[in-house]
Amino acid sequence: MSDSTETLTVDLRDIHKQFYGVKANEGVNFQLRPGEVHALLGENGAGKSTLCSILAGLYRPDAGEMIIEGEPVVFKSPKDALAAGIGMVYQHFRLVPNLTVAENLALGHHNLGVMVDQKDLQRDATQLGERYGLPVDPTARIWQLSVGEQQRVEILKLLYRDAKVLILDEPTAVLTPQESQSLFSTMRQLTDEGRSVIFVSHKLHEVKQVSDRVSVMRQGQMVGEIDTADAEPKDLARMMVGRDLELPTRAEDDSTGQPMLVVRDLRVPGDRGLESVKGVSFEVRSGEVVGVAGVSGNGQRELAYGLVGLRRPTSGSVTLDGVDVTEENVLEHIRQGLAYIPQNRLGMGLSPGLTTEDNLGLKAFREAPYSKGRQLVPAAFKSRGKDLIEQYDIRGVVPGLPIRLLSGGNLQKALLAREVEMQPKILIARSPTRGLDVGATEAVRNSILRERSRGTGVLLMSEDLDELLALSDRLIVLYEGEIVGELTARMATAERLGLLMAGQRDEVAP
Amino acid sequence: MTVRRIIVEPRGLASLRLTLTVPLLSVLAALIIGGIFLWITGDNPLTVYGHMVDAAFGSSRGVSETLISATPLILTGLAAAIAFKMLVWNIGAEGQFLLGAIVAAGIAIAMGDGVPAVLAIPVVIMAGAIGGALWAAVSAVPRVYLGTNEIITTLMLNFIALNLMNYLIFGSNSPWRDPLVSTFPTGRPIPDGASLPRFFNRLDVGIFIAIAVAIFAWYLVNRTRWGFEVRVVGDSAETARYAGIQVPRKILGVFLISGAFAGLAGALFVAGPVGALDPRSLDLGLGFTGIIVAALARLNALAVIPVAILMGALNNAGPSLQSIGVPPEIVTMLQGAILIFAVGGEFFIANRLRRPELPPEVLAGEAAA
Repeated sequence: MSDSTETLTVDLRDIHKQFYGVKANEGVNFQLRPGEVHALLGENGAGKSTLCSILAGLYRPDAGEMIIEGEPVVFKSPKDALAAGIGMVYQHFRLVPNLTVAENLALGHHNLGVMVDQKDLQRDATQLGERYGLPVDPTARIWQLSVGEQQRVEILKLLYRDAKVLILDEPTAVLTPQESQSLFSTMRQLTDEGRSVIFVSHKLHEVKQVSDRVSVMRQGQMVGEIDTADAEPKDLARMMVGRDLELPTRAEDDSTGQPMLVVRDLRVPGDRGLESVKGVSFEVRSGEVVGVAGVSGNGQRELAYGLVGLRRPTSGSVTLDGVDVTEENVLEHIRQGLAYIPQNRLGMGLSPGLTTEDNLGLKAFREAPYSKGRQLVPAAFKSRGKDLIEQYDIRGVVPGLPIRLLSGGNLQKALLAREVEMQPKILIARSPTRGLDVGATEAVRNSILRERSRGTGVLLMSEDLDELLALSDRLIVLYEGEIVGELTARMATAERLGLLMAGQRDEVAP
Repeated sequence: MTVRRIIVEPRGLASLRLTLTVPLLSVLAALIIGGIFLWITGDNPLTVYGHMVDAAFGSSRGVSETLISATPLILTGLAAAIAFKMLVWNIGAEGQFLLGAIVAAGIAIAMGDGVPAVLAIPVVIMAGAIGGALWAAVSAVPRVYLGTNEIITTLMLNFIALNLMNYLIFGSNSPWRDPLVSTFPTGRPIPDGASLPRFFNRLDVGIFIAIAVAIFAWYLVNRTRWGFEVRVVGDSAETARYAGIQVPRKILGVFLISGAFAGLAGALFVAGPVGALDPRSLDLGLGFTGIIVAALARLNALAVIPVAILMGALNNAGPSLQSIGVPPEIVTMLQGAILIFAVGGEFFIANRLRRPELPPEVLAGEAAA
């Protein structure tokens, strides 16, 4: 496979791309050989997604050459890229929720006429699925499918168009460990057929496991390319970040404080009125981190909403430091010392069009120094904002500009700064490091652990098992709105959690 | 092969100079388009524009009439600006204006001549504001609690308000109708005690009230806790909920204040220059022009003042054009053109155009090719 004389499948030369004055790709070269899994590794904002989107025809490069199978090409749209055999599965799926799997496969396919035979489509979809180990029900509508199944449909869509190059942008971010393994075997099968896969990730162990070669990007540039067999995870990490990394360490501390958050038989409705949290009971004590594991969509969002007052529980109780807040509104929860880091940073945790300073005052603006009676004190927003921006190392802030212009990592630092500044008794965080680069992830995890040692009770809801295992003292697993297992940090392994997350109840006592 | 083209990208923060220049250029562009139109129809644009400036600002009477026209526009402009800022699409300022006028005139007539001005005028003004707010509430309450579309309800209520006024004057012997005029019905005159005192030709104190309300509105939005909450809700309702802000209550409040501003405009208009509930003098589309004012002012309460004066000047200049044989509709056309250019100008405030920057070696290579 490393025969350098054969024609390269993809050869990108000196690609440049700017957004809003930010250089997302700066003279990037990238080569893909036939039949390989080529991992593209890098922190968030390193330019991986931009490079892939250029190759997939979504963006046009400001400058540079693209050579596919030896021929120079210009893609004006993803359609051109697909015609050249290149397709991409984006992080946010591009499926029509109300159409069936088969219809989604057919959508936009140039070979189809005006009339489409549903039976043919469904048969094709089933056959394709069986062949590549991507089983889906072709008659199911997209909204009925789990995230993992939707991803399979996206991959099938590309195979239905006979794509020779499949670009998978962080595909394992939404999968259980078991689902990831099955995806990896599908990837192997694709490369055995001579197709190539570009696997975008920032998870080193996955890259190590599945890829043939690794290209590492940092700050818009390609910093290296290496055969996976020769790559040490430590070296890859250094290439990615540009320095050695220290993983946050959790102080072993078995002294259990008093219960800060007590949840009893909580039931919370979902968006469609059906019950999404079905009688959940647990406690979070002062100075401990309780992790909540689970594949997304198993009631995490509703549980969080129920706990912070955004959605009224149908029954059960929530007690914060001895005060029953089940029936109270959000403001009362905040007053009782509850801090919340929602999954949706921009649009829920932060108000995108307001300035960073305004956003930093968003929880405390009702009191001094931010307001005096009914009046606002603009000077306080400015000076407090400046202090917090410095103290929490929030970069890229220009006074007067809306916060949405900050990068994901800095948004999260700002959100965390505000929540931690209120000296909470309970901190609820949902996927706090999702999509963040290694540096920002480190900063966020360290603040969470700092809160823990300050005596805050932390409820950490995450889909990142490594994160849960690294930070939690105890773990509970949510499956279809119920707690299917509770483990101490010492008992928990990724495999065991994975089985629980897939709904296999833990028979062994923790 | 190298691909180069012009890139459109969002601008972070537009400079103050730019935010001032773009609306001015929009007005200029509208004047040029209007000028071309005038030229085609055989008039000299410069003569016509000169005449308009003269009519609006060239004499003490011109200035006072311009400010009289501007007064209700400041308030209906504020009504639109404060609502739109919060993504509440109250396009019912027209109806709220009329209801303000009806209620204010009704209270003034009911009080009669016996009440001293220091009491009567505040009562009449408050009555107008409350009338406008209540008319807005008809749309606001179902919007907030049932999720109805306020664009439709406020628009429909405009027609009901207009017909209500016409009924009170033309269709019935209501207390609003002047019993002494039988040929062509009009409203009963507002008693002197409730009429706004004049101080400069026909110009009355309403202009000061309008300017004071604009300053108050700016302060409310930018310098109070309530205004901060409103800004958060307007930017992201989800974030507001998350931060413990009661979103429905804020929307309701903004909607009612918007209606009150429009109703106040109606009160000042009947208690000021018009002096009666006279449908022919009130049905001028001042509520709708307020939307143009708000858009041109980029929803800034203080900017509403100069923009309303500009629009007032145009309104005031229109009728005088007839004396030189130019149809006064040219003014309506100019107002429309200004709005279109202002909306187009928004694009350049929000975005910038640039050519992609290329590294020197690429440029060299391109030159060689």
